[in-house]
Amino acid sequence: MITLGDYLLVSGTLFSIGFAGVMLRRNLIIILMSLELMLNAANLSLVAFSRFRVDPNGLPNYNAQVFVFFVITVAAAEVAVGLAILVALYRAKQTTNVKDISSLKF
Amino acid sequence: MVLFIIFCPIVAAILIMVGAPARKTALAASVLTFAAALFLFASFKHGQRDFQHVTSFIISPEWRLSFTTGIDGLSLIMVLLATIVTLAAVWFAGSIHKYENAFYACLLFISGGAIGAFASIDLFFFYAFHELALIPTFLLIGIWGSGNRVAAAWKITIYLAIGSFILLLGLILLYQSVPSPLRSFDIRALTVAASLGQITADAQHHIYLLLLIGFGILVSLFPFHTWAPEAYASAPAPAAMLHAGVLKNFGLYGLLRLAIPLLPEGARHWTTLLVVLLLGNIIYVGLVTIAQKRLDRMLGYSSVMHMGYIFLGIASAGILGATGAAVLMFAHGVSIALLFALAGELRRRTGTLVFDELGGLARVMPFAGLAFGVGIFAAIGLPGFANFAGEIMIFFGAFKNGWTMDGFRIFQITTVLALWGVVISTVYMLRAYRKTFMGTVSDQWKQLVDLRPTLRVPVTLLVGALLCCGFFPRAFVRIVAPAFRTHFTANR
Amino acid sequence: MNSILPWIILLVPLVSAAVITLFTLRSKILSSSISIVAVLVSFVCSCLMFAFSTATGAEFTWIGISGVFQVPFGLTLDPLSRTMAVLVSGVGALIHIYSLGYMRDDEGRSRYFAALSLFMFAMLGIVLANNFIMLFMFWELVGFTSYVLIGHWFYRDAAADAANKAFITTRIGDFGFMIGILMVWMATGSIVFAEIAPRISGLASHSTFLTVVALLVFCGAVGKSAQFPLHVWLPDAMEGPTPISALIHAATMVAAGVYMLVRVAFVIQSSQTALLVVAWIGTITAVMAALVATQQNDIKRILAYSTLSQLGYMVMAVGLASNDAAMFHLFTHAFFKALLFLGAGSIIVMLHHEQNIWKMGGLSRRLPITFVTFAVGALALIGCPPFSGFFSKDAILTLAYERNTPIFAVALFTAFLTAFYVMRMLVIVFFGKPRSDIARESRESPPIMTVPLIVLALLATLGGFAFFAKNFLTLPVEKEVAIVVPVLAIVALIAGSGLAIVLYRGRASEPLDLALLRHKFYFDEFYSWLIYWTQELLACVSAFFDRWIIDAGAVGGSSRGTWGIGALLRLVQVGNLQAYVFLFGLGVVAIIYFAVFR
Repeated sequence: MITLGDYLLVSGTLFSIGFAGVMLRRNLIIILMSLELMLNAANLSLVAFSRFRVDPNGLPNYNAQVFVFFVITVAAAEVAVGLAILVALYRAKQTTNVKDISSLKF
Repeated sequence: MVLFIIFCPIVAAILIMVGAPARKTALAASVLTFAAALFLFASFKHGQRDFQHVTSFIISPEWRLSFTTGIDGLSLIMVLLATIVTLAAVWFAGSIHKYENAFYACLLFISGGAIGAFASIDLFFFYAFHELALIPTFLLIGIWGSGNRVAAAWKITIYLAIGSFILLLGLILLYQSVPSPLRSFDIRALTVAASLGQITADAQHHIYLLLLIGFGILVSLFPFHTWAPEAYASAPAPAAMLHAGVLKNFGLYGLLRLAIPLLPEGARHWTTLLVVLLLGNIIYVGLVTIAQKRLDRMLGYSSVMHMGYIFLGIASAGILGATGAAVLMFAHGVSIALLFALAGELRRRTGTLVFDELGGLARVMPFAGLAFGVGIFAAIGLPGFANFAGEIMIFFGAFKNGWTMDGFRIFQITTVLALWGVVISTVYMLRAYRKTFMGTVSDQWKQLVDLRPTLRVPVTLLVGALLCCGFFPRAFVRIVAPAFRTHFTANR
Repeated sequence: MNSILPWIILLVPLVSAAVITLFTLRSKILSSSISIVAVLVSFVCSCLMFAFSTATGAEFTWIGISGVFQVPFGLTLDPLSRTMAVLVSGVGALIHIYSLGYMRDDEGRSRYFAALSLFMFAMLGIVLANNFIMLFMFWELVGFTSYVLIGHWFYRDAAADAANKAFITTRIGDFGFMIGILMVWMATGSIVFAEIAPRISGLASHSTFLTVVALLVFCGAVGKSAQFPLHVWLPDAMEGPTPISALIHAATMVAAGVYMLVRVAFVIQSSQTALLVVAWIGTITAVMAALVATQQNDIKRILAYSTLSQLGYMVMAVGLASNDAAMFHLFTHAFFKALLFLGAGSIIVMLHHEQNIWKMGGLSRRLPITFVTFAVGALALIGCPPFSGFFSKDAILTLAYERNTPIFAVALFTAFLTAFYVMRMLVIVFFGKPRSDIARESRESPPIMTVPLIVLALLATLGGFAFFAKNFLTLPVEKEVAIVVPVLAIVALIAGSGLAIVLYRGRASEPLDLALLRHKFYFDEFYSWLIYWTQELLACVSAFFDRWIIDAGAVGGSSRGTWGIGALLRLVQVGNLQAYVFLFGLGVVAIIYFAVFR
């Protein structure tokens, strides 16, 4: 039997992997991917909470799942914008290494 | 009438910024305000303790915030001082080489701000008007100053801003310390609340300390005084005149207007501290002044030192000392303005104020020598000048505090030390005069010419004010003393 | 009229000073005439007031806070002040006229006469004041005019320094005076003489208090009348024009201290200890100044030290509780000392401002009028009968003989010294051969200068006789005429003069060499050493402290501290994205920890 704890464990692991990626990797694209991983970890836990919290009428509470859709949509937009910025940055500085990008204006 | 005196300089300043001819407008405005202040002085109703000429515009009924102006004896004297010094400073300014319009506008803003602060009965505007006057001071020193002007401008501005913030904190706490049904920004209402004992002793202790430090920084109370000599040495003469002569009195005025009447218990609690600090002003700063090697710094320090006497009058907490303090505020304002005006003119002509490079100037500039001599003798309290009248009341008032036949207590000892300060100030003033105006003239100064007749007018005006008040101090005492009668017990 | 008359005396010189300063500085003739007219008006009114003793002065309020502090502006018109008014304005008038001749070629004549008028105002104010604060005000004003007049030739370094020294030294005395006034006010609740006098006797149980008060008030006189140890300014004050030395630093202002002591005798005499101190200070001053005078070479300095010495006599008389004797000597001294200074001025002008007595000699033939009048003054000074000084000094000596033998001995020795140094001066200046070319070519002064000399010489001769002086003063009553005192005095006189004549006749240079006396007991050196090691040192230390500890340390330190914290925090804000993320994560964890687990 898979319990809520198992889902949360997977979600937490995913989040930690994502967070470690964001903190430790130098490549901006990978950082962006790790960021997505963290978002999806959050999504997973949201869905899991939704599934395991049952209302008195026997149905799960779908609010959280709706919320996940929002997150996915926004994440898609964010990825689009983020990648666009990344491309622009790469054009300007010829690098995607986060260490080289530390000032607010060029 | 009061509104006119406040807004005439401000409106004139705005007009000048917009493009009106700078000097003419400024002169006209300052002459008008001076005339109006004289009119107020002449039409003042004696013996009335309330504010006169009160006008009020309600701004926020639930906060009891309103733009209320009016004068009583103390503020009348201060307004009169402000208009006299403004007129002299504007007249003395002459032609300015860069940004003439902005220069005059700044002068008038300082003047308007100071007058507004003195004539406001509302706590909020009392504070706000003073802040209005601080910004032009920064510009005047930073743009038109001499020497290390930018550093001096930053120093005075940041220093005074810190003082203002401490003061603001104190004022907010003061506002909140009054229980809400009586809570008001109106100083009169606050005074009534305070006299009903609505401000607890504990709150008074904290608030008075904040006000003392806040106002003290603005007045260069020891040890918060080091901004003054530097700023005055760098400031252009009219700015130094206005700041040292008028704006600095704001802090003293605040203590007399707010701290003492509203927080008598706090004042009593911190008396010893204040006495120690004011002795620092008189003795320690006096000694520092002796060691100065430049006229402008010497004058700056001497101004700081004389604040000690005014604080002594305030600390003595009697009607006599407070009246003396008010008269001395006026006298010191006028005399230091005179001295700064002449020192500035001297610097403009010689390019230096170092004692060792000057000497014998009274030979080539007899009028300047005479006027400067009048200024220093007024400053060291020669009878016949207003300063003497103020000092003598302060000494008597302070000596009276806590007197017994058995021996000297704290105030008697303080008075004795303060009297020794008079000797100290004699030493440094006469030395400075000796080194600047007496002795042999070196060849490089033989070509100097005396002050033009146009510049003699403001000098004469200031000297006249000093003499009038010095010969007939009663006219001033009659106006000021009733204002204190309510708040100072006569025999303490 | 009666109530205005005293105010006219007082205010006319003030008006004159104001008018000259404001309007007529350009015209020297106009200025000097205004000033002379003013002083003559004062003099005539003083005489009128003296003659009609019913005059009373109107009173004004200078500062008034009802129930707290009242400073009236009123006049005392008793015999003492009426006499002093006549004396001051009379001597003043003569010196005004004399100045017209002496300052003939001076470019600053208008300024000079304005200051002279102001001085008359201030001095008459001291004389007429009826309360302590008014007295103090005029007291300070007198000091101020003295400063202006000593520094009349301010472009000479010596004059400028002397002016500063005089003002600052007297201010030190005034420091004590003011404390004394404050204590009197606190103890009696009044500053008006007439009200204090009865109340002070009610304080007899506080004897220490009264002693302290009396000594503090005496401090003022020590400064103004140049008593030991604040006497150092008076000899230097001779840098001023000679009429000023005559008027201010011999006849009137320095005597103001003595006058003040007499005026407030009820304070001074309330304490026996204080009286003794006063008497001894006077005695020390008298003998010390006389000793110094024997070795001076500048004619004006000799006279200055003789002034000090005579003031010492007056203070001694005050200390011996005889105001009459003090005032008598003040009265005669004013005449003969003004005479001596004006005579010296006449010599100095005719010798083109040569003041060294060793450059003079044989002047008795060249300046006969000056010589005769000067000799009259000198004889009066040494107390030779029948000149005025004999009577007044004899009164003081008798007093000392009766009340305090040690003081009498010292006073007698001083009389001997006085005769010695005055004769030395006379012999060197007027007899023998001229020792320089200017002395050989000198001529007598113009009448405008000699007439005041003659008038003063008459007064110096007559001033001591009872038939003349009793009109002005209460003469001291000598209980039993102790014949021994005048005899001893005359012996001292003859011994002193004889010694001087023997020693100095026909000499071309100083036969004695007493470095201690020539250097005035090293007072100036000692004081400059003292000032250097106290005031200057403290000032330097304070300035250092202010500059480096308060300004650079505390103020600059807090400024630099703010900068430093900013610099530290900036190290964190380097733009490293991953560090931000890490800190952000830490923050989230911390928030969760505090929100959930606490």
